[in-house]
Amino acid sequence: MFSKVKKILDRSLEVLVTVSMAVLVVDVVWQVFTRYVLRDPSDWTEELATFLMIWVGLLGASVALNRGAHLGIDYFVLKLSAKKRLYTELFVFFCVAVFSLLVLVIGGIDLVRITMQTNQIPPALGAKVGLKMWHVYLALPISGFFLVLYSTEFFIERIVALIEGKYVEQPHDFESTAAMD
Amino acid sequence: MSTAAIAILVLTVTFVLLLVLNVPVAFCMGISTLLSVLVIGNLPSFLIVAQKMATGIDSFALLAIPFFILSGLLMGHGGIAKRLIDFANVIVGRFRGGLAFVNIMTCMLFGSISGSAAAAVSSVGGFMIPLMNKMGYHRDFNASTSITAATTGLLIPPSNVMIVYSLATGGMVSIAAIFIAGILPGVLVGLALMVVAGIISSRRNYGKGEHFGPKEVVIRFVKAVPALLLIIIVLGGILGGIFTATEASAIAVVYAFILSVFVYREVKIKELPAIVLQCAVTTAVVMILVATSMAMSWFLAYQNIPQNISAFLLGLTNNKVAILLIINLILLAVGTFMDMTPAVLIFTPIFLPIVKDLGIHPLHFGIIMIMNLCIGLCTPPVGTCLFLGCGIAKTTVTKIIRHLLPFFAAMIVVLLICTYAPQISLVLPRLFGFIK
Repeated sequence: MFSKVKKILDRSLEVLVTVSMAVLVVDVVWQVFTRYVLRDPSDWTEELATFLMIWVGLLGASVALNRGAHLGIDYFVLKLSAKKRLYTELFVFFCVAVFSLLVLVIGGIDLVRITMQTNQIPPALGAKVGLKMWHVYLALPISGFFLVLYSTEFFIERIVALIEGKYVEQPHDFESTAAMD
Repeated sequence: MSTAAIAILVLTVTFVLLLVLNVPVAFCMGISTLLSVLVIGNLPSFLIVAQKMATGIDSFALLAIPFFILSGLLMGHGGIAKRLIDFANVIVGRFRGGLAFVNIMTCMLFGSISGSAAAAVSSVGGFMIPLMNKMGYHRDFNASTSITAATTGLLIPPSNVMIVYSLATGGMVSIAAIFIAGILPGVLVGLALMVVAGIISSRRNYGKGEHFGPKEVVIRFVKAVPALLLIIIVLGGILGGIFTATEASAIAVVYAFILSVFVYREVKIKELPAIVLQCAVTTAVVMILVATSMAMSWFLAYQNIPQNISAFLLGLTNNKVAILLIINLILLAVGTFMDMTPAVLIFTPIFLPIVKDLGIHPLHFGIIMIMNLCIGLCTPPVGTCLFLGCGIAKTTVTKIIRHLLPFFAAMIVVLLICTYAPQISLVLPRLFGFIK
């Protein structure tokens, strides 16, 4: 039951991120096309691109956490025994959960509230489709929610492993990290 | 102790502690910044960190990163690398140890269409290492050549890490300017690696490659044209001021897409969603790093930390040579443990004010930093290129390290030359009017 819900959640998050990324590509290609071919540069593509980027970046961060793609220094903890390493992992997911809750969820909701009150409007998309800045900043609390969810799940997984005396294999997505260097 | 001093102490101690415990670097920066803002006290801490993170990634220039990652992923499937190899072969293949030269030159060519060294290791190395093995070259020598040569791609534009550097300087250097600044240093590293490869090859008496007739030369050149054309579009477009880096990166995506899906048919349409998702995940890893590093560098600037470190260091010595040497040594040490992107994001805001006080141009410093961290990509315990290369060559870090040493020596020599001869980095940007 639980794993089924998680699978659906994982998958929908991944689809959402993939689609946003694809739209991002098409959007910027369209911008280049309107500027160099149509000679009539579109005014909203740049805004849409930066907003999509914030969404891809923040929501993608929870997909990255799920896949173990975030960059860390594992050199020292790899020298520990499997059991001690479980304790460090408990600590890692605790840190991620607390930071995501305090800054992304609580701080993010504050940010959304303030931008709503001051009624900040992006110049092009605001006029065109009525987009408000707080729509963009909603990415913070939403991404924070998923980060808290995933890190709590991993945290509980480690606790269970400690009680049962098992070792949990930490996923490590080397390919995603390598694509940058 | 003043509150400010306590805040800094908290920042440093928690950052290092979290880092050692394998907390993701982005969260190390975020958490230590949050704690030190809390120590200062009179600020809405959660909100301010959230806000600095959100505004930190609200930038059109940053978009070049996912696009160069995506074009790198699309081109990583071999079709383009194969044709570049054939082209390099007619130029440098005929000498003793020819295949090593071909390997290095292809990495440099590949580096000028892709922004990632890892892509060069897997696509160029993935083809060249087995080929060199078959032709009797030593496996660990082949892997060493690929691993080190791939890093030239991060100096030769386009380069993902240079975009990150441009951002970390707070827009003090433009992406186009740092791209151009990297060309000569990147070529210089490539040439130095060729010298080492040449000496080793003649000592071990590795074979000479084939000579090609004029007809074959023309055929191979024509086949490489689509790949070479991308170099001209991307580099020429940015150099000539026709495109911004972001636009050039979008064109590179379209071009790589057409080439690998329709022309070389190496990527199937149904593989695309997975590739796009992988690009998004990599992008997210970088974006979250950028976001929290922006919060941290805001805090550092708010507390005048870089100025204080600068005053302290300049109080010890105002000898430019000595300070640059110290900075290089720190970066070399950091680079062995830390990945390149976080290292650039963390140390640029700290070191840049110091070197600016010494009259060092931010472009020149960027080249020093990136060249330095490139060495870190090839050194244990943490080195993306090293691990990828060892995986491809089916060898181990312990076996390969002896073979890597001469190449490291060459890279360090070039690093020192570029550190103390700013002209190498600055002459091209000046020529193209990016600096006065």
